[in-house]
Amino acid sequence: MNNTVHISGLGIISAIGNDVATNLDALLNERTGIAPITRLQTRHSELYPAAEVKLSDEDLGILANPRSMHGWTRTALLGLKAVKEALAHAGVDPQQPRVGFISASTAGGMDKSEPIYKQLFDDELPDDVAQYVGTHDPGEHAERIAAELGITGFLTNISTACSSSANAIMLGSRMIKSGQLDVVIAGGADALSRFTVNGFHSLMILDKEPCRPFDASRTGLNLGEAAAYVILESDVHLKARNAKSLARVTGYANRNEAFHVTASSPEGDGALHAMEDALNVAQLKPEAISYINVHGTGTSNNDGSEGRALQRLFGNSIPSFSSTKTFTGHTLGAAGAVEAVYATLAIQHNVCFANLRFTDPMPEAAVTPVWHTLRDQRIEHVLSNSFGFGGNNSSLVISAP
Amino acid sequence: MKPVYITGASAISPQPTFDRDDLEKVVAYDTHPLNVIVPDITGYVDPNRVRRMTRHTRIGLMAALNALKRADVKEPSAVIMGTGDGCKDSVARFLDNMIDHDETVANPTAFIGSTHNSLAGQIAMAVNSKAYNYTYLQRGLSFSSALMDGLMHVGSEDARNVLVGAADVITPDFYITHRRTGLWKNHAVKNLEVLNSTDNGALAGEGSAFFVLDSEPGKNAVEILGVDAFFKPGEVHVKDRAEKLFAKNNRTLNDVDLVLLGYNGDHTQDRAYDTVRAQFPNATIACYKPLFGEFYTANALGVWMGYSAIRSGSIPKEIAMQGRSSGGFKNVLIYDHYQLKDHVLVGLGAV
Repeated sequence: MNNTVHISGLGIISAIGNDVATNLDALLNERTGIAPITRLQTRHSELYPAAEVKLSDEDLGILANPRSMHGWTRTALLGLKAVKEALAHAGVDPQQPRVGFISASTAGGMDKSEPIYKQLFDDELPDDVAQYVGTHDPGEHAERIAAELGITGFLTNISTACSSSANAIMLGSRMIKSGQLDVVIAGGADALSRFTVNGFHSLMILDKEPCRPFDASRTGLNLGEAAAYVILESDVHLKARNAKSLARVTGYANRNEAFHVTASSPEGDGALHAMEDALNVAQLKPEAISYINVHGTGTSNNDGSEGRALQRLFGNSIPSFSSTKTFTGHTLGAAGAVEAVYATLAIQHNVCFANLRFTDPMPEAAVTPVWHTLRDQRIEHVLSNSFGFGGNNSSLVISAP
Repeated sequence: MKPVYITGASAISPQPTFDRDDLEKVVAYDTHPLNVIVPDITGYVDPNRVRRMTRHTRIGLMAALNALKRADVKEPSAVIMGTGDGCKDSVARFLDNMIDHDETVANPTAFIGSTHNSLAGQIAMAVNSKAYNYTYLQRGLSFSSALMDGLMHVGSEDARNVLVGAADVITPDFYITHRRTGLWKNHAVKNLEVLNSTDNGALAGEGSAFFVLDSEPGKNAVEILGVDAFFKPGEVHVKDRAEKLFAKNNRTLNDVDLVLLGYNGDHTQDRAYDTVRAQFPNATIACYKPLFGEFYTANALGVWMGYSAIRSGSIPKEIAMQGRSSGGFKNVLIYDHYQLKDHVLVGLGAV
């Protein structure tokens, strides 16, 4: 049995564009989405930049176009917009029985529950508040999108911090490989919220300037918001409908570091093991990798640890690598899927994207990312890293079709 | 796919279920939400660490470690869990602080604790597991997602000793906000009489259950015959789907001697269970939510009850709605729906 897992559709909305084409254009032309906070109402908006989707909830609603706007959180609208684009791109019907929807989110409907949180205990609620009661949990957006699109097969949502949507793609790939599903819509969505801004502020890992991953001067990450989904499809299903493969998911791994509740080990053990295991699943040697979309948040801890893991795995011949969080900010639960979409675009367009604002290598791991768009590259296999709190480390290998 | 067995289980619930495979004496409550009976942590977790843990983390970690102990496994090859609402106790603490102080007072501990995979991470730290570690949050499909993932690991991907479980707690905030949506009964109710209700709203509860899955049966094993979980608003053809599930194991529905149904006291929602009940005239029909209450991952305790029925040969007579409550059970069907949207069928078989 040929158990190849294809990617046959992409959908994305992020700070650098509302669809795949505008994201690609911004990446190629090095236009970052990181800017002063204008939409989110927070005390910290003058202190920290972020990568906001430049649409009000109302305009986002018009773009995502659900049947009724009642009760749609920003996270769910972002998700719906990206899922619709991915489905249209692949040309698959989400209402077939063997289609699964695997989403991911860390904060779920937090963007709508935080402003109404204190009102929830009032006796009477006005409708603009009442419509968001019960939209808080991370699975709500997935259920709402499934109901909107008539998906009645396998449905789930993963919440493993910043590796969430990489894990959604991994689960979808395994379910196709083991013959349980033909098609999986896999990805994630997270809207920016005061909750996450204040949370990362409390951990003191937000940069007051646009982030500088892998640079000696880096002082933290910038938060972002996004939704991104890929359509995963079995070989049999893809061929039966004469559809085109954009790329294949050939490797994946999730490893827990069991080191610390938030921090990564200084030598990058978890990152190293996740990358090694993903290469093993793909049956590839490290030298087969053409490009790495690193986790690269811009925090002192992550980049030092990930840099050491790269040195340990690849020695002196580290492939071209970059953090596209320099464009999108850290989109948390959506990050793994955002970067899987970019990995697929790198393969399709023979490019390595830039790690913006890099000037000086880190003393603890002097590795040098790609700092301007590299064109005319032959991109055969891309490694995409997503690491999260709780020691949750995931790597995907995405390969040319 | 290889056969997959439960080789050890643990449940922490509003009933005395901890560190045993049967439920000898049922506790009756006069009001709800039902709260778990928190077991003595001595010997499981460093008491200094426990003081800083939320209830969610505490009961989940205890159930996980106890399931491993009962299966005689030191280090699981994967930790996979489902929780409908994760660490909502830490989330509420963080939000209260953020709003009350208008974003001027930082609370990193509550933020770290509000990361929904923190419990699975704590379990991994406690047993030094550097392996696969997933947390599912999909309402009534949270536990079944974890269980299906575990089945795939053991049945199709050659893993051994995979830890699968669920934990959800009820907080005052959650109880009040969801009572507003009509989820809970807004009056006191006796748990063992809740199925006599003629009004809507469920009995609210909480709990945690963990299971060790393996491809070798060992001495205490119960086989997992299959899991079928899906999202579909409205009633579904449970019998057809159950037939397919048991047929894969060369069994028919006549072989099913115990059907555990997710009756929760909500009159409208419970009608879907009446339909299923009528299709199994010869089997014992029993419920489990009058014991544990309704919550996103209550079906994990339903699976524990099925495991317990096969292991101990009996169920508490208080939950038997039709047929015998003792004398041994060989094939068990658990059917649960959450709000008539998230449907879960699990088949268990004696080894």
